[in-house]
Order: sequence, then structure tokens, then C-alpha cells
Amino acid sequence: MGKLRFYTAMAAGKLSGAVLRLMKKSTCYVPGHIAVSVWNDFLSGIQPPKTVIAVTGTNGKTTVDNLITTILQENGYSVTSNRLGPNMRTGIASAFLENCTFSGRCTTDVAVLEVDEGSTPVVFPTMKPDYLICTNLMRDSIKHNGHPWYIAYLIGLATPETTKMILNADDMICSSVRKKGQDVTYFGIDAARPTDYVSSTVCDVVYCPECGEKLEVEYLRYNHIGRMHCPKCGGGSPAPDFLVTDINPTENSFTVLHDGIRENYRLINDNLVNVYNFVGVIALLSRMGLSFEQIAKGFAKTEIVSSRYNVLQLPDRKIVMQMAKGQNAMACGRSYDYVSHLPGKRKGLILLVDDKFDNVKDTESTCWLYDCDFSYLADDSISQIVFAGPRCRDQYLRALIAGVDEKKLRMVDIPKDGAKPFDISLSDDIYILYDVYYVEESYAVRQELMDRMKGEEK
Amino acid sequence: MTVEILFSEVCSLYGDVQNPVYLQKCLPDAKFVFTSLTDEPYFVHDTPDLIYLGGMPEQIQRRVIGKLMPYRERIRQIVEADVPILATGNACEVFTRHISYLTEGIETDGLGLVDLTVKTDLMNRFNSKVWGQTAQGITVLGYRSQFSFLYGDNSENYFLRCLRGEGINPESKLEGFRIHNLIGTQLLGPILPNNPQFCEYFLSLAGVQTEAAFKEAAMTAFRQRLKEFQDPTTAYITH
Repeated sequence: MGKLRFYTAMAAGKLSGAVLRLMKKSTCYVPGHIAVSVWNDFLSGIQPPKTVIAVTGTNGKTTVDNLITTILQENGYSVTSNRLGPNMRTGIASAFLENCTFSGRCTTDVAVLEVDEGSTPVVFPTMKPDYLICTNLMRDSIKHNGHPWYIAYLIGLATPETTKMILNADDMICSSVRKKGQDVTYFGIDAARPTDYVSSTVCDVVYCPECGEKLEVEYLRYNHIGRMHCPKCGGGSPAPDFLVTDINPTENSFTVLHDGIRENYRLINDNLVNVYNFVGVIALLSRMGLSFEQIAKGFAKTEIVSSRYNVLQLPDRKIVMQMAKGQNAMACGRSYDYVSHLPGKRKGLILLVDDKFDNVKDTESTCWLYDCDFSYLADDSISQIVFAGPRCRDQYLRALIAGVDEKKLRMVDIPKDGAKPFDISLSDDIYILYDVYYVEESYAVRQELMDRMKGEEK
Repeated sequence: MTVEILFSEVCSLYGDVQNPVYLQKCLPDAKFVFTSLTDEPYFVHDTPDLIYLGGMPEQIQRRVIGKLMPYRERIRQIVEADVPILATGNACEVFTRHISYLTEGIETDGLGLVDLTVKTDLMNRFNSKVWGQTAQGITVLGYRSQFSFLYGDNSENYFLRCLRGEGINPESKLEGFRIHNLIGTQLLGPILPNNPQFCEYFLSLAGVQTEAAFKEAAMTAFRQRLKEFQDPTTAYITH
């Protein structure tokens, strides 16, 4: 019965994929959705490739998935990846439908699967990863993810003991998902240690997860990311096996120390969050047996996807578009922090970070705004901020509570109208920070800004 | 005036971290005592004018109960002395009689100041919102996102009568509880900045007549939210 349902699901999925390809439509979601609808357990019928890599964590999954896939392909591996589709069962099923025989045998060397943290209990029992890289575990969508300790609990429950784990040593929630005796490789950053304690709105690691004693903080970079140790039981942040010892933005390079060897890689992006992603990728690929030359070759050719970070250089200023995931308080806070520390004294921000769907026949929860560190927006280098979206009044209030000068704040209800209240004369460089579903609207905002600049030139 | 914020280093989930910050903006001259989980609470030897406790991870909830249990009678005294206490999210569960953690198979007694029990199921998350009114007629809007429900009879001591949304469990229209001035609600996060009128009422329970901080901006945001909460097409339970 199971086989019959599997073949029916396979046929339906493959057929829908063929039709979509003929229509020149995306096959990233629908074929998998159909297959899983026909047989809920469809993934269990797939014969996985020799190596299955799962990528999970709160932030950085797509960047890490893209990098791993690109580097493996660059080195001649054939890869099944769901990087263009959803990171839940349907997206993973779609990826395999593209790369398997009718009997369900995967035809590629490797599968690189981005897996939503909350979906690990559904995906891992049917698609056991040989390697699991977890980038970090932080507060995310409240309604889907609860809190990060809950997500760590779920991942720990779901991950087979045989899976080799690649974990962030500077994130004690992430490093807690290991099981006793599990093969774990840790990655971390030693470079650019903060000299002062960095205050973030929330820090989710205060007490030792082993014995409950208050942890002593060596340093924190942001939220709970940093180094801590327990004065009572000796627990704390594990020692990284792959450690970034130097970050050199002027020479576009960073150095990784592992197994007594120092290696230099091209710095694709200097945002610290991304440097964590990079060293995680290096740790994983090294553990898989790739050489420095093989990995470095991939780093030399890869760029961050332009829909996530994009700079338009104009004669007198630049317009930067940067993704800032809405409802993900920590990711948004990281983006605000990053922009606030960039050079420039009159930076203008336009924020499109409301949820596109939660405000349709619904009203989006504002809780995440209060977890997000808005204090970065109070930086003197920011001359104006436009909140564009249905929750603009809530964001305006949140900014006031965080100490942002009311004179700098503007708001508009419709995201694509974000440029309308923006006063070009008050700012030099302009940063459009947008949620993952507001790419089109953010381009419209940028276009309107450029049209107005051209009009003013005339 | 002294405000005690209990265990804010760990009881700060889902935006609850900003309720004390907003209180500080409302009460710039008040003394704020931030008691950590390893400190002896201020209320043990002195009586604060107001106490706040925010939501927390389930493992921490058990630790908080263990921390407060030796002071149960002192807390009862404070409650009977009408000191305003606000417990948001799953912090309110600390004051109930018993909590069953179904997924982990753990049973824990709460402080027993409220005759309600709790069931927590980590495999089922419930997301909704509440448009409700206090017994004094103050409209409160809030969000809920939780693993737990409360059970028992709160008809004599509820916090909100729900105009839309669920009460202490999906069969109830009465949300939270109020014992003297101990207000427990499963509504999350920014309940005070999101509800400036309720914030002013809560402060008045401590004898403070003051305007909520950033009142104009807070009311502008509240009125927009109220419009959306009242819209019949607005979904309440979401997935």
C-alpha cells in the first residue's frame, strides 16, 4: 500500500513538475506539495544520496546553503538543493523530485537541504542527515518558534545520534543541541573581540544549562552570542575547532585557524553575522574532506545573493538595499546595528519590515518589535527613519521608547510608498531595509527615490 | 515609589522585556529594583509599590516556582495588602495550583494563590489574540502565543471578558485572573505600551495618577489596532 501511494505521489509530483517547466514556472514548491499531499510520508520513499547535509538555525540558513551548494558544484559534485524553494517538507520533496528516478533513487552525489528549525522533527525521521550545520539559535517568529531553548529541544530530539554536527561555539543555545558522545565540530570567531560589554535588548543565556549557576561572561558580541563560562561546573562555551582569528575588510580576507593551520579566505561580506556563516561552511566542508584549495576556490567566486544585499552607487551617495527579516527580532536588530555602525553622518533609513501576510485579514502581532533592539536606530549618524507598512504606528511608538528623536521619525501605511515621506535633502546614503517578502516593494521605493533625485537635478 | 521587577534577566520572552522599560518611562522618579534569580527578592523584607513578572522558558518557569515557593506566605500577604502585581504570558501560571508539563511528563505545584491548574503541551502551539474588557470597562488588546492553557473556574476573578478571542482555554471567554490587585494574563509582551489606558489604570492601583509615556503615539497606535481587532474579517486563531 505504501509503495503504491509512493509511486502515485511520485507520478503526480513529476508530472506537475513537467507541466510547470513547460509553462516556464518555478518547480520549487508545487511538485513537492502535490507529492506530500498524495502521501504524507513521501520523503521516506526517497533513497538519499551518499551524503545528506542539513542546514538549520535561526539566521543564515540560505546564505550557508547557497555557499555549500556553490562550492560543492564548483568542485564537481552534483547537488540536490532546495535553496530556491521552501525549507519545509514540500520544498525538500520538490528538490528531490527534480533529482531522482521514478523509483525514488536520488541521482546526485550530495543533498544540501535547508531545513526550518521547527520542521526538523518532521524532516529528520525520514531524511536522516549525515551532517547537520546549525548556524545559531535566536528568537525568531514567536508564533512559529516559541523561544530558542524550545527550538534547541526540538532539534536535539529530532537529530539522529549518528549525525555529525557542526555547531556555533559562540552560541550556547546552539551548542546545547548536541547529544552525549555525538561527533561535533565547533566554529567560532576570536577576531574583533568587543572590548566593552555590548548591551542588547535580550540575552537568552544567563545561567549554566548544566548546573544552573550564573555564567561569567568573557564577552558578548550581541544578544547571547559571545563567550561565557560556568564558575561552578566548568561548563560554558565550547572551544571552537575552526576559529576566525583575523578579519581584514580592507584586504577582503579573513583567517581561519584549525588543526594548527592558518588559512586565508576571501571575505565575501564583512558583517559579523555572515563571517559566522562563512566559518561554519568551512568547518563543514573540511570535515567532509574538501581541501583548503577546493573551499577557497568557491569563496573566491561566490557573492551574497543580490536580493539580500545590493548597493547602488550614485555620484553623490549610495542606496543600499538590505534584507532584514520581519518578525525575526534578532535578525532585524543585527541589521539596525550594522547600519548604525557604517560610516556616514546623515544616514537615511526606510524600513519595510512588517509581515506581508499577517496584516491581510488579520493584524500582525507587535510582540517581536519589543524584542528587537531599536536603540541602534537612536544613533546620531541616522538623520531620518521612515516606517513603511501597516504597523508603522507601532514601530513609531517602539522607536520613541528606545530613545529615537521624534523629529527623525516618519511613517506611511503602504510599504511601496516608503519613499514618499522621505526627505532626500536630510540624508546622504540611504538604506532600505526590507522583509523577505517585500523585495518588489523595496525596488519600487528605490526607483521613486531615484526618480525624485533626477527631478531635483533638472 | 519602588517598583520590583522580578527575574527580568530570564523572564523576558516575547517582548515582555520592554514592559519594565515602559514603566520606567512612565515613572521617571520611581526606584526600580531588578531582582535576579540568584538574589533574595526585595519584597521579602520591604513592600514594593508595584511588582512585575514577565514570560519565561518552561525550564525557567520551574526554577522560578522553586525560587518563590519559600516566600509563598509573604507573597500572599502582599497580594492581600493590594499591592499591584502584573504577571504576563506564562508568568501568570506560577501563581496557579498545579502545572502539568505533558511533553516532558513533569508535574509541578505552583504557588497556589489562584485556584486554577495548567496543562503545557510543547507539541501544540496556540496563536491568537484577545479583544477584551476589564471589569472596570477598560478595553485591552493583546496577543497570545503559547503552549499552555489554564483550567478551572475564573468567573469570579477573571482579568478580561473577551469580546473576541479565547479566555483561559479555548472553551472560555474569560481571560486571566485578578486576585486583589494581582493581575495574571496570558497576553504577551508589550501589554503596557500597547494599552496606555490600561497602563494608567494599573499605575493608579499603586496610587499613581500619571499619563502613560508617549501617550499620543501610544493612543494613535492603539486606535489603529482597535480598528483592526474589531474588523469582523480579522482572523483571531492563526497558525
